[in-house]
Amino acid sequence: MKKIYAFESKCLGCGLCEVHCKTAHSKSKDIIKANKKENITSAIVIEEILQPKAVSYFALQCRHCQKPKCVKACISGAMYKTEDGIVKNNKDKCVACLSCVLVCPYGAVRKSKEGKSVSKCDLCIEVGTPQCVLHCPNDAIKLLDETEAEALK
Amino acid sequence: MKYVIIGNSAAGINAVDAVRSKDKKADITIISNEEFPAYGRPLISYYLSGKIKPEFMNYRDDDFYTSRNIELLLNCEAEKLDVENKKVITSLGKQISYDKLLLATGSVPFIPPIKELASQDNVFTFLTYKESRRLKEKITKKSKVVIAGAGLIGLKAAEGLFGQVAKITVIDLADRVMASVLDKTAASLIQSRIEQNDIDFKLGVSVSEVEGGNSVSRAILSNGESLECDILIIAVGVRPNVKLAKDAGLKVARGIVVDEFMQTSREDIYAAGDCVESLDMLSNENKILALWPNASQQGETAGLNMAAGNKEKAPVAFAMNAISFFGLQLISAGIIGEADKNSIFDIEANKLRRLNIVDDRLVGYVLINDQQRAGIYTALINDKTKLSTLEYDIKAKDIGLSVYPKESRICKIWSKD
Repeated sequence: MKKIYAFESKCLGCGLCEVHCKTAHSKSKDIIKANKKENITSAIVIEEILQPKAVSYFALQCRHCQKPKCVKACISGAMYKTEDGIVKNNKDKCVACLSCVLVCPYGAVRKSKEGKSVSKCDLCIEVGTPQCVLHCPNDAIKLLDETEAEALK
Repeated sequence: MKYVIIGNSAAGINAVDAVRSKDKKADITIISNEEFPAYGRPLISYYLSGKIKPEFMNYRDDDFYTSRNIELLLNCEAEKLDVENKKVITSLGKQISYDKLLLATGSVPFIPPIKELASQDNVFTFLTYKESRRLKEKITKKSKVVIAGAGLIGLKAAEGLFGQVAKITVIDLADRVMASVLDKTAASLIQSRIEQNDIDFKLGVSVSEVEGGNSVSRAILSNGESLECDILIIAVGVRPNVKLAKDAGLKVARGIVVDEFMQTSREDIYAAGDCVESLDMLSNENKILALWPNASQQGETAGLNMAAGNKEKAPVAFAMNAISFFGLQLISAGIIGEADKNSIFDIEANKLRRLNIVDDRLVGYVLINDQQRAGIYTALINDKTKLSTLEYDIKAKDIGLSVYPKESRICKIWSKD
């Protein structure tokens, strides 16, 4: 399956991926309303790496593990893996116990700001194309399958 | 091939999934002594509070059993194993044959010796959906509730009842709440948050006697104090449900003894979840780790091995918990140890970050309302990562994947697992 890979050398840390992630997961689908009015948690973690003379960044999304620990840890059955291999969280069933946060080795699942569920990358399956990838101005995140990713590693 | 699974919760369901993934045609029967399809057992406190509606209690989709062609026997007690003839004898007198059997019998509540305690109609345990429903029906705005046990189950019951009854008092013999999971500092944060919601604690004492006829009306504590009580919840702990295994002559210590493949002392019988002893990788001792993630992992492992021969080893295990009380989020893992100034890195009102570092390795942590990437700490414990090989001092700042050197970080992100 395809998932999103980060390229540290290209990431500017601009945060546009987060802006578009929030928009894609908003009710309004409007970039201004989604980011200013709706209380949405981005499913992307942007990390800053402090080096002696510079700062670099990378953006991290759910790795959609083959054996997802979050799915096994989930107490309500809200976290599940689709037949396509995408790890999804059903917000209706999620009680935000954070068992998934406890076990995700990537720290790629986070409590959502409204506090009632968790936020994680769903590869924008409802929208179509991952919006973070589409709007990254410097190709620092790409949607790749395993072979493509291995070639670019 | 005929698989029989006794138990219909985390271990049982994940085992069934694993068996089905390897064997599309086999007969699979689940025997459950409960009346509901599999539900998220820890959700029973959310049901009690009303936060979760009955339609969201199910652990899997409504068509889980039918779509996978699984026979589900509800309200059915497995009473005896005939291991020679490979049969399970049930309460309805039915004999169910198996080729491979999984014991996923879970825990039973431990009932401490309390004078005059029988099965009065206002005495509850808090381990099943049925009990939670019975409790919800029984309580009124005037109820005075006494909960024996300030562990995870007792406190979640208290939170579930909050706002629905007149008074809640939680009793525990230990000097702090969640004594098996938390140090004093963390426990006092949790306790004071719960107290702010008018829930009383009486610690260092136990319930020694109850008064009343068919219904309990007072609880007498070990220090002589007497409390009005029209609902008594016994939540002092659980014990592995090992009766079937023991009676059948399987090797049982505190829990059912299994090997790394989740196989019991009999070749065709596996066991998983709260009823077994797991090897705690941190203490290197066999322990009962009655935890949901552990049960589902072990269930999956057992299922795969039952269906395809012993190939899969159960993942390493250690204690871990994620739970919240009145908005205070607690995440902890590993060996907690005693808190001191060398282990607490952030503490303020309602917030704490404590790391237990021993010999260059993280062996445990407690986070209360702290930042959100706890799983990276869990991975450091799990992988026994040498902290000196990391990019920064984990005590100094929030954890992120940037803690790993570039090469191993890329390796993780690009991992095919």
